[in-house]
Amino acid sequence: MEHTKHIWRAAILLVTVLVVLVVGRHFVIPKSFGEMGYYRYDALFEYMGKEMRHGSPNACADCHDEIAAAKASGKHAPVKCEVCHDTLATHVKDGEKYADMRINRSYELCAYCHQKLVGRPALVAQVDLLEHLELSPGQPIPAEACVQCHDAGMIHHPE
Amino acid sequence: MCERKEGNGYGRRDFLRMAATGAGGMALVMFGGGQALVSANTVKSTASDQLGPGGYDPTKHHYIYLVDVDKCIGCGSCVRACERENQVPRHFFRTWIERYQVSRSGEVFVDSPNGGHDGFQPSDTGADITKAFFVPKLCNHCENTPCVQLCPVGASFVSPDGLVLVDEKRCIGCSYCVQACPYGSRFIHPEKHVASKCTLCYHRLVRGETTACVQNCPTGARQLGDRKALHDRVSEIIATSKVHVLKPELHTEPQCQYLGLSREVR
Repeated sequence: MEHTKHIWRAAILLVTVLVVLVVGRHFVIPKSFGEMGYYRYDALFEYMGKEMRHGSPNACADCHDEIAAAKASGKHAPVKCEVCHDTLATHVKDGEKYADMRINRSYELCAYCHQKLVGRPALVAQVDLLEHLELSPGQPIPAEACVQCHDAGMIHHPE
Repeated sequence: MCERKEGNGYGRRDFLRMAATGAGGMALVMFGGGQALVSANTVKSTASDQLGPGGYDPTKHHYIYLVDVDKCIGCGSCVRACERENQVPRHFFRTWIERYQVSRSGEVFVDSPNGGHDGFQPSDTGADITKAFFVPKLCNHCENTPCVQLCPVGASFVSPDGLVLVDEKRCIGCSYCVQACPYGSRFIHPEKHVASKCTLCYHRLVRGETTACVQNCPTGARQLGDRKALHDRVSEIIATSKVHVLKPELHTEPQCQYLGLSREVR
């Protein structure tokens, strides 16, 4: 039986290779990989943990109920507060105000929606800014051109 | 040729045959098992009964997105909201707006200054423009997406609720997926050096909120639906209206559908 040792050697080699493969695989392949497909399923739960920046649609009304009520009955009702201001997260933390909310008084903000444009659907009131402000082309538009006449009350509750 | 030893009854040939069979069998057990999991794809294994916040179960939802081109006023609120919600780096976009201006002779002028982030200015094309419109774009969350197919490390994936996402811990930033996406929806994050893209604000969806872009669209041009929800409004619109997808010829099966899309849109 002098050849038996060849069989043993081969068998030991095979077993070693298999053990290295199985153990190595355990270390190389991350936890939850393959649970639901060819990816790490835990990655999905990492996305879930991210914090929200924008609040719920009606979050602002919790404190600013008067402005919210006025806005709800005006033409700007579909425009959420955070569109013109900033995200709730810049203003409120754990249900408490920690910083002032941004108030954007620039004409650019109004122009995003109300600048008259070719191809802009007539769902919103549109003005040619230069014409409306009686400026000639090339003349600079004053930074707060719109809010000089259209004040916050009008903006929150446009007729 | 080697002489077979009498009385042993077990030659080299037998040994090799047995070793090959054994190794083959082991390989089948080891890799076949994995393959079965991969090909099953949507079949939930017993190990993954994990739930999100508030008991959110990814297998009980399938998100769809609807864009109504006729309602988009090109204000860019969605682009700015997406940037704020997801800390998208400047001059990179997870969603953007394109302006199409088509002349009578068929010339098409397309622009998207800073992705529509700063709104649009009147533009003089010098042509007789007969139709113009704004088209919001984002990741189409394709069911049959090329970006996931070619990811070499399994970092891009389609989640059980139908979202195409990137595992930022696994992504090696090779940007194959950026090149593969026919819609230009992906980019390499300039600081993280991994592929980045629209997640449909997944962190908001699991809390029962809608995406930042949908919530901040002042005209309702963008809507989010859930195919698996009962009486879903968006599913109903898609079921009853003439909807279109971008580049249908690629058979990527986009989950983002368009109302009022014109043939000039690419």
